Amino acid sequence: MQAEVTPAPKPKADQSAAISRQRAKGYNLHAGDKYYAFAFLGPSLLVLGTFVFYPMLRTLYLSLFLTDNVGRPTVFVGLKNYIGLLTSSAYQASLQATAIYVIAVVALTLILGLLLAQLAAKKLAGIQWFRTIFSATMGVSVSVAAIFWLFIFSPSIGLFDQIGSFLHLPIVAWLTQPGPAMTAVVISTVWMNLGFTFLILFGALQMVPQSLYEVSAIEGASESYQFFHVTIPMISPTLFFTSTVTLIGAFKSFGLIDLMTAGGPNNATNLLVYRVYQDAFLSGNYGLASAESVILAVIIALFTLLQFKFLEKRVTY
Amino acid sequence: MMLTKTHKTLRYLVLVIMAIIIIGPFILGFWTSLLPTADIAKGALFSTHISLQNYVDAVQQTAIMRYLLNSFVISLLTMAAQLLFCSLGAYAFVFLSFKGRDFLFYVILATMMLPFEAEVIPNFVTVRQLNLLNHYAVMVIPFLTSAFGIFMLRQSFRQIPPELKEAADVEGLNHWQFYWRVTLPYARISLFTLAAYSFLESWNQYLWPMLTTFSDKFRPVQDGLRQLQSQETFNNWGMIQASAVIVVIPTLIVLFVGQHYFKDGLNEGATK
Amino acid sequence: MKKQTVSHKVFAIVAGVLVVLAVVLGWTAFSHPSASAQSNGRIKVVFWHEMTGPAQQQLIKFSNEFNRSQKKYEVVPEFEGSYNEAVQKVINTHGTDASPAVFQSMDISTSQMHHTGYTTPVQKFIDADNYDVNKISAGARAFYANQGTQLSMPFNTSQPVLFYNATLLKKLGVTPPPVNPSYSDITRVATQVMQKSNKKVQGMSVEIYGWLFEEFMANSGTSFANNDDGHTSTPTASNLTGTSTVNTMKWLQTNVKDGVFANYGASGNALNNEIASFLSGRLAMFLQSSATTTQLTTGNKNKLGITYYPHPDGQKSNGVAIGGASLWISNDKSATVQRGSWDFIKFLMTAKSQAEWQAATGYLALNKDSQKQPALLNMYKKLPEAKVPGEQLAAAQPNNTNSGIFMQGLIQARNLTQTAMEQIYARSNIQKALQTAQTSLNGNIKNNNRANGY
Repeated sequence: MQAEVTPAPKPKADQSAAISRQRAKGYNLHAGDKYYAFAFLGPSLLVLGTFVFYPMLRTLYLSLFLTDNVGRPTVFVGLKNYIGLLTSSAYQASLQATAIYVIAVVALTLILGLLLAQLAAKKLAGIQWFRTIFSATMGVSVSVAAIFWLFIFSPSIGLFDQIGSFLHLPIVAWLTQPGPAMTAVVISTVWMNLGFTFLILFGALQMVPQSLYEVSAIEGASESYQFFHVTIPMISPTLFFTSTVTLIGAFKSFGLIDLMTAGGPNNATNLLVYRVYQDAFLSGNYGLASAESVILAVIIALFTLLQFKFLEKRVTY
Repeated sequence: MMLTKTHKTLRYLVLVIMAIIIIGPFILGFWTSLLPTADIAKGALFSTHISLQNYVDAVQQTAIMRYLLNSFVISLLTMAAQLLFCSLGAYAFVFLSFKGRDFLFYVILATMMLPFEAEVIPNFVTVRQLNLLNHYAVMVIPFLTSAFGIFMLRQSFRQIPPELKEAADVEGLNHWQFYWRVTLPYARISLFTLAAYSFLESWNQYLWPMLTTFSDKFRPVQDGLRQLQSQETFNNWGMIQASAVIVVIPTLIVLFVGQHYFKDGLNEGATK
Repeated sequence: MKKQTVSHKVFAIVAGVLVVLAVVLGWTAFSHPSASAQSNGRIKVVFWHEMTGPAQQQLIKFSNEFNRSQKKYEVVPEFEGSYNEAVQKVINTHGTDASPAVFQSMDISTSQMHHTGYTTPVQKFIDADNYDVNKISAGARAFYANQGTQLSMPFNTSQPVLFYNATLLKKLGVTPPPVNPSYSDITRVATQVMQKSNKKVQGMSVEIYGWLFEEFMANSGTSFANNDDGHTSTPTASNLTGTSTVNTMKWLQTNVKDGVFANYGASGNALNNEIASFLSGRLAMFLQSSATTTQLTTGNKNKLGITYYPHPDGQKSNGVAIGGASLWISNDKSATVQRGSWDFIKFLMTAKSQAEWQAATGYLALNKDSQKQPALLNMYKKLPEAKVPGEQLAAAQPNNTNSGIFMQGLIQARNLTQTAMEQIYARSNIQKALQTAQTSLNGNIKNNNRANGY
């Protein structure tokens, strides 16, 4: 744990602790507030109840059934949908593909994002231009990114294919071979993520007090030493926030997969979330797809919980 | 820190390489959008037959402008609704006392862990029963509020000094007045962040509109592009690229104009 | 902080504007319900289809012509994505304002669509109108009929065929394949193309596509599912591991391994890329639906060759099933709307429309009188090969193995056969890949029959 080396959030913690001490005796909270509470909170609760809580229970329920050809649950099968999934090689392939995809996307996004932020943080002539460029993919929506990259990876006419044949390299069938297809969707996702990650990490770097660098420079610290012992600890809360956002985003990646590979070839890019769509809205297996949804939700919830546990420790609200 | 000359050159080199990698897909997309599809199909990427014909085709032959309008309407409605309902909800959690307040808050917090993607099956049945399918409503109503928004604004409202509330009580402001006159202006940076966040979230929706819209009249831009891609990739790569460029340009402009505010706002949200 | 200087007034104005905007937009957006049955006095007939490219253009043209031909109805065509997507879309929207009045649904969804009970069999209108159904190809009609009742109207009907670049083969000095080729005929041509072009041209491509898998089985006279491919009763098991299926896969695998056949993968992008390569002279032959014909002839200076679907060596070809889709009428719309749907279907099935349809797309004209229509005569004059798919259909004696598979859950089945093909192309053990697909498929069939109470 690097919590000890992180002095930054501390003053804030003191401050907010002070505020909450004040608050304990602070805001006058009245018993008559419940009518206000009903009016203020009612709409949100209604929406969350209808579109978040109820469907959660309903998905759990559906996952225990077989559904007929118009989607009605007809035969109760208990946990058989789950057992069938976890023992099927196709679903295991999806689990594996998701793991590879998520790890690759998160690692590359963070490393490249940090590299860009670090590069852009230095004061150089014209650096503003680079900052603008680096943040540009934030304005790119998923379909646009998919279309740009689909063209780059397309056989015969695509950019990589043309460069390859120009240099007489063996031609890679990017989207029709399992390994290259995964590489292609990872590259596209990372590219799309970079703008946002760069902006956040760059902002965090700007907030690291210059004095810390000056002090360590006087002590003779090298640039890489500074990076690992000053920069990284100082921005670790942001780094963690970014990694969690990227991680959860990667688990939910749908559009790029849909447009670029449709889960193929041979299920190599058939991520868990895409499988839910396929089994429900293409094959009409709503029971099975519900079980897949539950598994997906559990995985994501686990990671979100970890984030909260971890963040709670590092940053005081 | 002083940089030596070679050091500096090296740094610029890395900067330029990274910039090319990042901006490359944009440039290629933009460039091919200017080429006739026949040249693209032949692999003649260095063709000199440049024209804006693909843009004319995209605007005239496809519903791309309608898709943009739809997305704009949907995202704006979602954004406005989330600002309103999330701030009201957050206010209740900070300034109102009622039974089960903390419990409710944790319940709402917990919903942040549930991905919407894993709940689409029952949600689809719900909106079908409400007869909302193929309508703006179906893309707005499930997202009128967000647990994340409530959570973020609650954190922000808690920064409001108790003295302000006390003063307001002395002046006899009721909760509506305090909410409107003090709380919202005080937390405007967070509100701005939430606005940007919810707008973008809505703009980038892909799966849900794909499942619930069935005509160009309501289809938002992400699914519109998907639609064009599946219909036209073979026939008209140039026009697809032009459509993608049409879609990306407004967001890029907004981004560059608002970058300054955006960055600060996001960091506000990120580090809190 | 700088931003704190924004005054409360400005904030209030911004907030106010937002609220007003939301209310105004909300009001305009929600006030008119989506499926207003009336528009400019006409009754709206929403028509869902899954056609792209020239076929889509032609459908839009037909809709416009139909709308001009009468004043009562207005047909509104909507493209709904792939065949696979459309099936669940139709089922999921049934009974809501979003559902279509008339829709196109693919061949293998016939059993499922029928069993939902969501449609009005077109037989009802055929009887009411005394419509002369004998004008429509009997083979195609039979595919979409059940116990003497016409469930839906066959519409876009294709044959899987082999396309080759005749000009390219001539230039390379390769004898083209015969009109009814065997597997080894294809191997020979593809190998020669590879050798004579110094590997510059790919010999052949078989897309990873469940439909082609099914057609290989049909052409060798093998049942995909028991109970005669579902023609005698609901299938309870599948058979993907028969000798002839294994031999077909062996043929594909060997040629892919030797680099004689190219692998363009699966899904919509695969077809697009195949066509792109074929047109740019980098691919000599490929198997596809006859419906791609137009895309292969427009703007293509090379001469196009077409042959029958290849059959295994040492046996006569059994004939292939038709592919494509049919038109269904939803029963959740008013009698008038259903009547309008039927009128539109009749319009699409006239000799003239069908002739134009084939000329524009490569789907077969199903109206027997179409052959005399100028649109078709002109086309045959320009491209005599365009007759081949029709001849292939006529040459086949309909039997239980070449008349399609009457089974539910075939979309999933195609996923499984496609995965098996992908594995086989990637050099996996053939027997094992097919066995895995068969086991999963049999599990699905069992569950599906249970869930639906069969």
